[in-house]
Amino acid sequence: MANQTLKLGGGLPQDGDAICVMKAGKLRFMKPNKYWVESSQKRYVPSAGDNVLGVVVDTKPENFLVDIKGPALAFLPVLSFEGGTRRNIPKFEVGTLLYVRVVSANTGMNPELTCMDANGKAAEYGVLKEGYMFESSTGLSRALLSSPPHPVLEGLGKKLSFEIAVGINGRFWVNASQSSTVILVGNAIQKSESLSLVQQKIYLEKLLKSIQ
Amino acid sequence: MKEEEEIEIEMVTPGEVLGKGSEVKAGKGAYLSPDNNTVFASLTGRRSLVHPSPHSPDQRPTVEVIGHKAHGPVPEPGCVVIARVTKVMARMASADIMCVGSKSVREKFSGVIRQQDVRATEIDKVDMHSSFRPGDIVKASVVQCNNANPRHVTRLYLLISLGDARAYYLSTAQNELGVVSAESMAGGTMVPVSWTEMQCPLTGQIEQRKVAKVGA
Repeated sequence: MANQTLKLGGGLPQDGDAICVMKAGKLRFMKPNKYWVESSQKRYVPSAGDNVLGVVVDTKPENFLVDIKGPALAFLPVLSFEGGTRRNIPKFEVGTLLYVRVVSANTGMNPELTCMDANGKAAEYGVLKEGYMFESSTGLSRALLSSPPHPVLEGLGKKLSFEIAVGINGRFWVNASQSSTVILVGNAIQKSESLSLVQQKIYLEKLLKSIQ
Repeated sequence: MKEEEEIEIEMVTPGEVLGKGSEVKAGKGAYLSPDNNTVFASLTGRRSLVHPSPHSPDQRPTVEVIGHKAHGPVPEPGCVVIARVTKVMARMASADIMCVGSKSVREKFSGVIRQQDVRATEIDKVDMHSSFRPGDIVKASVVQCNNANPRHVTRLYLLISLGDARAYYLSTAQNELGVVSAESMAGGTMVPVSWTEMQCPLTGQIEQRKVAKVGA
């Protein structure tokens, strides 16, 4: 390799002159000089700017304590909602599912969340009512959010009507008019992680035939 | 002037009567209650009587309570302490006080550095994460109490005049106060570069801290 400056991403720490690999996964390269290791795991490491699905665990005077599958509980300030003032603080019960954005996630500190986008609008953030939440790995979450769309998601979307919210922390939520649809979509997505592209197509065809 | 000391064998406990205010002066570990002019013990230890020098105008002996191994130094308002940061949160950082002045403490004292006490300028724009990290050694001063007459009971660290009953309020709002020693994320002891930055010798990365000005 000629003399060039490399940008090392996740999973590639530098030890003196040598670059070691610290995570198991695929080594990815992006021109001109970025390398990183892409891995899929059940644990989520919070990082600023991520959209995640969190579950309310506790309420404090200043913050809601939200579990986002990270090493520490995250704080959601009670005023971090569109038009939030001391008068209209939302009342979340323990167990409420929220779609939130990570504002800051410094090491050693609890991550901070918000239910507003960068302009202060609610956007899509907030409570996810009804439906059901499924757990996934971080790799599957990234695949579901990638473009072009995930084949299973696209295939199911052509035949069934449902809404889905994907958190990059290894959680996704599905809602539909019938619970059988919710279960179908959730299971199909979870199963598709272990299937290759070809297998996914076959599985999808079989599944959609069986519901007709 | 050699002062004579008599140390008794019997232990005294806080609240025990050590003498009348007219006969003895209250020294270390004792206090005078004005209501009934009696000197009570405020610490656990052995009673010691220090005879006054023959030149002093007040010829009352001083009674002290000394000898218990827990009588280490205690943080007082205005004194400079060395503490290790344990937890950094959005608006404050917790620290364990390790030394008072140059003496190490014998018991655990907790300190809190609030966002407004980190520095003297632009106190509402302070980012705690860019000032301290867990594991940093900081030099801080114990916040002066607002109460003009600090009456405190030293036992049980119930310093009613300082901070709250749980922790001392510490301040780093001076040039000589702040982070004295810190480790970088790579594990090397960092070298101060400016009053806001420290550099790791192993990787060359610069990390932000509220650095104490050491030296001339």
